[in-house]
Amino acid sequence: MKCTECSFEAPVAKFRYLYNARIDASIALRQCPQCQAWLAVDELSGSVKQKVGPGEAPWGKSAGIEGLAEDAR
Amino acid sequence: MAQAAKIQESIEDLEKKQEWWWIAEKKRSKRLDYLRKAVWKKGAIGGNYAPGVKVDLEIPVLFTQMYNWWKFDPPMLRRAKANAHILDNMTIFITDHAQLVGYVGTTPNTLLWRIDGASMVNEELYNEPGVMPEPEQASLKKVADLNAAWAGQTAVDKVARILDPEDAVKFLSGAIGWGAPTSAYGYSGKDYEFLFAQRNGFLDIIEKIDEAIEKAEDRTMGAPGPDILPLYERLQNWDAMKMILEASIRYANRYARLARIIAENYETDPTRKEELIRLAETCEHVPAHAPRSLQESLQYDHFVQVLARIEALEGAWPARPDYYHWPMYHKDVNVEKNITREEALDLVGEFMIRAYEVGGFGPRWAREGLQGITGTWVWTLGGVNKDGTDACNDLTVAFLQAARMVRVANPTFAFRWHPKVADDVMREVFECIRHGLGYPSIRNDPVLIQNAMHWHGHPLEEARTWVHQACMSPCPTTKHGVQPMRMASATANCAKMVEYALHNGYDFVVQMQMGPKTGDAAKFKDFEEFFAAWVKQMEWLTNTLVRTVNLGRYKDPEFFGRPFLSATYERAVESGLDAVSPVGERGNCWITGFTWVENADSLAAVKKLVFDDKKYTMAELLDALRTNWEGREDMRLDFVKAPKWGNDDDYVDDIMLRCLREVARHSREIQCPCGNTWPLLPENVSGNIHYSSIVGALPNGRRLGDALYDGGISPGPGLDKKGPTAVLKSCGKIDHVGDGRAFLLNQRLSPTQLAGEKGYQLWKAYIKTWADLGLDHVQFNMVSDETLRAAQRDPEKYQEVIVRVAGYSAHFVDISRKTQDNIIQRTIQGI
Repeated sequence: MKCTECSFEAPVAKFRYLYNARIDASIALRQCPQCQAWLAVDELSGSVKQKVGPGEAPWGKSAGIEGLAEDAR
Repeated sequence: MAQAAKIQESIEDLEKKQEWWWIAEKKRSKRLDYLRKAVWKKGAIGGNYAPGVKVDLEIPVLFTQMYNWWKFDPPMLRRAKANAHILDNMTIFITDHAQLVGYVGTTPNTLLWRIDGASMVNEELYNEPGVMPEPEQASLKKVADLNAAWAGQTAVDKVARILDPEDAVKFLSGAIGWGAPTSAYGYSGKDYEFLFAQRNGFLDIIEKIDEAIEKAEDRTMGAPGPDILPLYERLQNWDAMKMILEASIRYANRYARLARIIAENYETDPTRKEELIRLAETCEHVPAHAPRSLQESLQYDHFVQVLARIEALEGAWPARPDYYHWPMYHKDVNVEKNITREEALDLVGEFMIRAYEVGGFGPRWAREGLQGITGTWVWTLGGVNKDGTDACNDLTVAFLQAARMVRVANPTFAFRWHPKVADDVMREVFECIRHGLGYPSIRNDPVLIQNAMHWHGHPLEEARTWVHQACMSPCPTTKHGVQPMRMASATANCAKMVEYALHNGYDFVVQMQMGPKTGDAAKFKDFEEFFAAWVKQMEWLTNTLVRTVNLGRYKDPEFFGRPFLSATYERAVESGLDAVSPVGERGNCWITGFTWVENADSLAAVKKLVFDDKKYTMAELLDALRTNWEGREDMRLDFVKAPKWGNDDDYVDDIMLRCLREVARHSREIQCPCGNTWPLLPENVSGNIHYSSIVGALPNGRRLGDALYDGGISPGPGLDKKGPTAVLKSCGKIDHVGDGRAFLLNQRLSPTQLAGEKGYQLWKAYIKTWADLGLDHVQFNMVSDETLRAAQRDPEKYQEVIVRVAGYSAHFVDISRKTQDNIIQRTIQGI
């Protein structure tokens, strides 16, 4: 998997697992070991979906996964 | 600027935007506004104290000086003398505009530190950045010296030395439970019937103690025999109780003197001068005598709570203020018309603020587990009188209205609902919830009264007096019903039951053999074998925790000693025994069950996918769990999709009932020091976050690091996919009398849907269904995702947004990001 922030590349497991805000979604929060960025990772495909930060876009129903996981309403 | 702009907006506009905190500012009196803003926030923000909040070092120094001086005295007498020394010498203050006084520290920004509780906590304090008073180096030196003097001598040090070493190591691993088996950090019940219903001031109690001493001395001077031998110790205890009551009266008189000094020498405003004189007269009258007015009644109650806290770091605040202060409110507001209702509201609001102000230094696990607050101060409102008639009154309404004006996160309220509650009271309850306070929680009074009789044998009339001893558990306020000490170490991290059943009792997180070896799960032939292993792990875990508490309770009078608490207990004043002694108590214990629902969901997932469908082998599952589901996302999602609690699905609901009934059976096999039962009470506070890095991966699809469910019998966030009725129906399958002591249920409702009269009627219909199904508890968050997201983005602007975390409320900005996310994840139920 490649970090979208610093291009560090390594198997998914090398990116520190933080937590999954939604147990029923395959999106997890992981941390890049090189630049420490929080990343929203699709655990099924092993790809970074977006950086998680306090800005407008990524702040969602489940931290950093707005639009990436369906809301359970 | 933003504040000025908000003040210009009309209440209607603010209501539309549901910015209730600005409305509160507009509606409350100038005095309440000042007092609310002048208070220091003592709850930890995430896990850290707010800047400027410091530990009080004057009190531990005063205590240690006198405690060491009287080193040959027995425990209760020695502590009474040391605590009296604090009360006579600690710095006191009166906040501007305040009508109520009393604090657990010497300045308003300080945290109480009980030096005699636990060396572990003392060491943690030494290493805690930011809390030392300036100059920091001098404070650190002082703390180091105090810690050296108390090393090995604290209450927890003493208990730890006599615990079975294996129990001690396993308990101290932090994996299975938390808290400490001592009354230095527990939740003491208050004998409100003795103090308020019987109208005993401290001088009245001293008179009773003098009579008891006189009778005992008649016997000790009489014919020798074994019956008089225990009296020698009791005589010393009575001396201790009397000594601390006298010191408490002197302490109140110090406030009276200070108020008079300010009034006569410094105050120029004639109105405030008058208030200070009234405050002085109040403190000259209470706690020495029974109260004569609402102000005296509230002040008496506050003194009792503060004095109990100066004696020990209490984690809860059991109270039923609308019931016990009603006589004086009625007299002042309705009969004699000494004060207006608005003036009474000011007093009630300030009474809440004075409680919100109180804070003590807690170790990091406590700060993580109780984020945003310093204790679970759940005040009980409503309910019935001893004869079963409706106890709600205008003071109930006043407390609910004051809560919306002061918007503190602690204390919170729990409302004892029953079928006779009037509609206007229910509307006030709803208004608090609609205003996003997260409280009151709703408790089913008929169910819980029956529950108290079922589990602990409290007689009907006594059961009807119940108050929340902590977040959830009912406890009578009567002579034999009141429980002196709930020690938090009977708090079970229940997810470990299923984790240990899977791993043969081994804990891969703390890397230690914890539970019994119940067999290699890979070799289990059917679900019954697996379930039998779960039962054994459950029994082991509850036994281990209960053993520590039972021993702590039994030895507490010797290792700690509670002279003040004893002096406020009718049975202790009569007997001369420490209040914490089990003698004369009926018993009201419970095991708090953190992380409970994970058991049912995990067992059901294993049953479904391993034993019924045979899609995966147990060996595959164990391997996936031990590698934290890494690289097995497909498999993890399969386990997430297995039947889940809260969807009215008998497949998993039946497993939940089986688990609860096994615990209920075992609850009768284990006994408290009074010989009574230990029922389970599932609830979480924010322990689901604290334990997120302690509980390993589970078959419900959770990974190590993920938050656990938000607690009690609440379904996993986002896993209750079939709507609110299905949640209620699942929860309604539980027997809320016989299956456990109480069951917490969190629900999120839509503030938009519940706006206006239609919203109230919808909510009322929901409550009717909840009551018809016999549930004992429900609490609501009614703040939108949008508001919570905005608060995450811009916390400065949303300082006053309050949410219900679990058995308590907190300001949203004071809880950690993971906890915030966990709350946002909860399903918003449309009703």
